[in-house]
Amino acid sequence: MLILTNVVMLLVLLSQYTTKIVHDPKFTALTLLMQFGLVGVFTTQTILGFYLFWELTLLPIFLILYWFGSFEKPRALLQFFLYTLLGSLAMLLAVIGLMHATNQQTYEGLLAADVNALGNTSIILMAGFLLAFAVKIPLFPFHTWQAETYTKAPIAGTILLSAIMLKMALFGLLKWVLPIFDGVATDFWRWPIITLGIIGVVYGAVIALRQNDIKTLFAYASLSHLGLIAAAIMLNDPQTNQIAVVQIVNHSIVSIGLFLAAGIIEQRTGTRQLSELGGIAKVAPRFAFWFAVLTFISLSVPFTAGFIGEFFLIKALFSSHALTGIIASSTLILAAIYMLRAYQTPMFGPTKIAVFQDIHWSEILVFVILSIAAIYIGLAPQCLTDFVANSLTQPTH
Amino acid sequence: MDSIVILFIAGLIGLFAGMSKKPVISLFIASAGLIGAGVAAYYRGTYSSPFSSYSAYVPTQGLIIILLCAVTLLAILGGFKRYSQDDEHTGDYFALILFSLCGAVLMAQPNDLMLFFIGLEILSIPIYVLVGIDKGSSISAEAAVKYFYTGSFASAIILFGIALLYGATGSFQLIEIQSNLAIGIWQSPMAMIGSLFMLAGFTFKIGSVPFHFWGPDVYQGASNAVLMYMSTVVKIAGVYALINVFGQVFRDSYFFWIDLISLLILASMFFGYITAWKQTSFRRLIAYSSIANAGLMLFGLADIHNGNIFVFVSAYALATIALVVVNLIVNDETDSLENWEGIAWKHPLIGIALALGLFSLAGIPPMAGFFGKFTLLWAAVPHIPYTAILALIASVIGAFVYLRLLLTALKKPSVHIRIQLSLEQTLVLVLTSIASIGAIYFL
Repeated sequence: MLILTNVVMLLVLLSQYTTKIVHDPKFTALTLLMQFGLVGVFTTQTILGFYLFWELTLLPIFLILYWFGSFEKPRALLQFFLYTLLGSLAMLLAVIGLMHATNQQTYEGLLAADVNALGNTSIILMAGFLLAFAVKIPLFPFHTWQAETYTKAPIAGTILLSAIMLKMALFGLLKWVLPIFDGVATDFWRWPIITLGIIGVVYGAVIALRQNDIKTLFAYASLSHLGLIAAAIMLNDPQTNQIAVVQIVNHSIVSIGLFLAAGIIEQRTGTRQLSELGGIAKVAPRFAFWFAVLTFISLSVPFTAGFIGEFFLIKALFSSHALTGIIASSTLILAAIYMLRAYQTPMFGPTKIAVFQDIHWSEILVFVILSIAAIYIGLAPQCLTDFVANSLTQPTH
Repeated sequence: MDSIVILFIAGLIGLFAGMSKKPVISLFIASAGLIGAGVAAYYRGTYSSPFSSYSAYVPTQGLIIILLCAVTLLAILGGFKRYSQDDEHTGDYFALILFSLCGAVLMAQPNDLMLFFIGLEILSIPIYVLVGIDKGSSISAEAAVKYFYTGSFASAIILFGIALLYGATGSFQLIEIQSNLAIGIWQSPMAMIGSLFMLAGFTFKIGSVPFHFWGPDVYQGASNAVLMYMSTVVKIAGVYALINVFGQVFRDSYFFWIDLISLLILASMFFGYITAWKQTSFRRLIAYSSIANAGLMLFGLADIHNGNIFVFVSAYALATIALVVVNLIVNDETDSLENWEGIAWKHPLIGIALALGLFSLAGIPPMAGFFGKFTLLWAAVPHIPYTAILALIASVIGAFVYLRLLLTALKKPSVHIRIQLSLEQTLVLVLTSIASIGAIYFL
């Protein structure tokens, strides 16, 4: 996760090299502050520290969105803040409750403590954590902040949000909540969360089918992919969790690439509406090529990381319950439809864009790094799974 | 005791020094008195009651006196520009503030109800004068009259409560009252009604629901400089006195009043934050925010053995002072929130102090306000869990109030105007900023 954070940060700054935003000292400062918070979230060994750093990341993203986003009214921004703050406060209560109940606050201490003995209390405590995570991931009924925030945020903000901030929640689920609450509480919440995840998979994909705004489309696509990961993680099986990590990394790669592509289109043409775009491939062949590569990665074509990820996650869901597997696999078909539409219309549709400056070397570099990473993980996923296997199969209890 | 003497003497000297009509001299004497009182409290952290020869001897935490002195120092530094405009009376302002602080120090850690009541009056009477000191302004006169009448009623109610307690237990000494109540007298109607009367008077003094109605009008009528003092020191002294009286003396009737306190907490927080949302005047907004924060401070009563509100009250006081100083600098005449648009860009220090102060009030880590709220909730969750949950929901509303204010201040202005800060304003803003973010190192 640490590697992911730092690589993503570099890529964010690099990808925005051509825009004004990076040359603003405020933006760089806030990004670094955020990196500080994220590194803290991923490394801290106490539950209170986890909460502190979790909240700390909220400050910079809030200011980035406010200063550099295109929010005409603060309403949408405040809505984003309301959701996340409400979720985090639920987590704060759960943290306090957990610390009181077990008299422990370190990771090892909490693992050793017998949380199952708390019975129903542990279910309630876990609900506090899950609420915070469900808002961040986002899971189905808590996702309403997502599309609007993503659309109005600056491209760098969107990438930061989707590529790493949302991963904090999955990470928290993997590292903290599932090992600690293994037992009564996890069994209680498993199927509700899986159901919500699967609903999110289908719901996000279906909405993405009909979107005209390219950033909103990618936002719903992201909802769909993350629902799948969250559902699979709730199975809490070491093998599946390793694959989930692969898919988390893959989703970061895909979301950086796609939102960057959307940003490039918006920056060069001034519009995000699919109906107003077309024929870009003729004037900007290099961009068309790299956008195509990213589209295929996100479609989980074999030999890319997404294939490993989605295939095994769906298989895991299928073997736990056939119906969920079948519903989840619909994401493959739906994703093919909406992603190809999102690619085809602006690139090869009837020519509507005559002038399109082709991409800068810094943007190509980002695309190249992303593609190499995705294909390498796709060919040799064990490089990641072995890396995380040790920490995911720690004996719990 | 030493602190009180030092403060009183400094106030007296300040009165005479005021005749020189040089505000800087008055400021110097007042600051020296405050620092001296703080140092004295550090070395002689306890005081005995000069009135009683009883053996009762409640150790005072010198920390509270130091906090009160430090907050007052920031308040007079921050308001110095306003005070010094009226150079004939600068000495009077500072003397009144120091006399009032004597009362605050006396009442924050009571060991005797008579002494406590005297402290309360010494605290209040100079503030009645300070609120109305702007003689030309009708709004200020209205505020002073309102505050004086309601404040007198509250004092009378507290006095009546003290009388009833005396009737029930036969003593003014807190230790004796406590030991008498502990053997079952607390169930007598006289003691119960007495404690309720005292609670009513206290809620008036700290400005929490249901006796909060004076707050917005008085805060709006008072000048920014006085507001800095009265929205912080009065509240801190009052809430410490409340926690000492209820947490120590009435601890046997905990289950009798804790539900009532929970209700007060929730009512104050929801009322304060929801009403603050629609305010257009900055000082009224601060008033409603202080009502809500008074509710939060009452969480100190949830766990009478481990409750610790020190971090929270200091965070609240520092952040409030930072905000009011900014309001004093940019917006002293109109007090309208419309003028707050884009003020963060007028001077980098204003922007930083505002952002840190507002995040601290909103309770977002790693600011002092978060640690304050965390310690409060940490103590409260095992005792009144449902109140804690609802209070968190209320504090989300509160976070919105503060963040909206921040967004207004951060709005990019069309023309850039840089303003100059005077030395003491710079000092106050730097100190409050450092304290708001530096709290993390002391935990």
